[in-house]
Amino acid sequence: MSEYKKQLPLITAIDKPFWEAAKRHELVAYRCLNCGTFYSHPTDCVACDKPKMDWVRVSGKGQVFTFGIYHQLYHPAWKEDIPYNVAWVKLDEGPLLMSNIVECKNEDIHIGMPVEVVFDDVTEEVTLPKFKPVK
Amino acid sequence: MSIKDKYAFVGVGLTKQGKVPEMDTDGLAAQAILLALKDAGMRKDEVDGYIFQQGIGGGPHGTLPLILTGIPANFCWEMPSGGCYCLNMVIAATSALEAGLCQSCIILHATSASSQRILVGAGGPQRSTQGAYGCYGPVADGAFIARRFMHLYGLTRRQLGSVAVTLREYANKRPEAVMYERKLTMDDYLNARMIVEPLCLYDCCLVNDGAVALVLTSAERARNYKKPPVYIMGYGADHSIREIGPSTEAYLHWDGFVTSKAGENAFKMAGVTLKDVDVAELYDAFTPFLLSQLESYGICGRGEAGPFVEEGNLRLDGAFPSNTSGTELSWSYLMGFSHLTEGIRQMRGEAGECQVKDAEICMVTGLGPPAPGSTATCCILRR
Repeated sequence: MSEYKKQLPLITAIDKPFWEAAKRHELVAYRCLNCGTFYSHPTDCVACDKPKMDWVRVSGKGQVFTFGIYHQLYHPAWKEDIPYNVAWVKLDEGPLLMSNIVECKNEDIHIGMPVEVVFDDVTEEVTLPKFKPVK
Repeated sequence: MSIKDKYAFVGVGLTKQGKVPEMDTDGLAAQAILLALKDAGMRKDEVDGYIFQQGIGGGPHGTLPLILTGIPANFCWEMPSGGCYCLNMVIAATSALEAGLCQSCIILHATSASSQRILVGAGGPQRSTQGAYGCYGPVADGAFIARRFMHLYGLTRRQLGSVAVTLREYANKRPEAVMYERKLTMDDYLNARMIVEPLCLYDCCLVNDGAVALVLTSAERARNYKKPPVYIMGYGADHSIREIGPSTEAYLHWDGFVTSKAGENAFKMAGVTLKDVDVAELYDAFTPFLLSQLESYGICGRGEAGPFVEEGNLRLDGAFPSNTSGTELSWSYLMGFSHLTEGIRQMRGEAGECQVKDAEICMVTGLGPPAPGSTATCCILRR
């Protein structure tokens, strides 16, 4: 396997469980187990008075919320990928994730397109959740 | 307690804009301060407050511009970088004046982004979750908004282009504008290279060198200086989010920025309404930002911003003359200072061929950094 030259995610104590789950090919999101509210950033629940926070497995299904196609090169490792897409996917459970849409031409991507998670093991340590169209 | 009409701008110091490789940000800042004092006819010992921010690729270093100019300031405050913070500096400066911390206050922005050849948002070697997905540069936020507006309201590239072309036409009439001599047609726009589709080169603000210093003082003192004072009637800020706390909706400003509290508080303090505004200078780092604010401040209806601009309403002869220097897209990128500087000039009658005739009231806005959540500021000026 040749050296992976793109940037790797900044994994902190806060989102380590997310990346550890991705390595197991599981998609998780942060949720209050008491009231069910999802959060994009680990914190205490503000929707109920008995917060019980944890990472929970989600379906991995969602829709494209919005996206852009990169024609400008910002990082040399993406040179061969241009034009490439960056999308925000709204999971069926509510949370929003930045990702790339794979197994799909850029011109076929559209807002509302149903997608499902696939796991890209970019290095031995890091797996990136990406999304492909639901056939 | 309202500060309506209690404080005024009395000095504007604008350096050369564009490529100024012979000076760094500290030198530019010092030059802008000296020009602002000269413009006001103010002595160095009459200005004793100083607030600045970092620009693209850095900015002035602490008190160095004060040392270079010999300004004996009582305080030196640094505000964060970002488009909303120029007007937050106005709020901070008037608060300092109100508290008696100073008698006059400089607010300043200086950047050498062009000379540093910065590709804004380019990824370094360090880890980055956004970088892991190839998401670089604030332009992405503009692209995400534009795509949503296209989906929700049928926004077209031609309508985005009408923002860029309208503002360029203003800049072509302003000799100090970075794009003074560069015409831009709709064909140029439609054939320009894409940056992050659906946004092309001309949807993006300039990257340039330059500095501006603005001097504020009390209304009583303001009468002692050379130029007609430009009074601050009101201001407001909005750091709210679409939904409080739960869900990632908080991060979703792409269906329109939340600016309501900024506008409501500014107009309430000013005691005027949108109908009284003669000219507006709206934050425009990317064309969709300007479109989004036209809707969020109620200047036009939801989903109507694209046609509103395409019909020519932002032009001098339109219903809502706006961004009359070409601002960040075509005049000079000084973050929110591009807009405040032009607002002051309009109120002084110094906008040359772009002067809105008999303009008495100006609305200025700031925005961002856009993600996460929404950060908006609004200020109402009068002559």
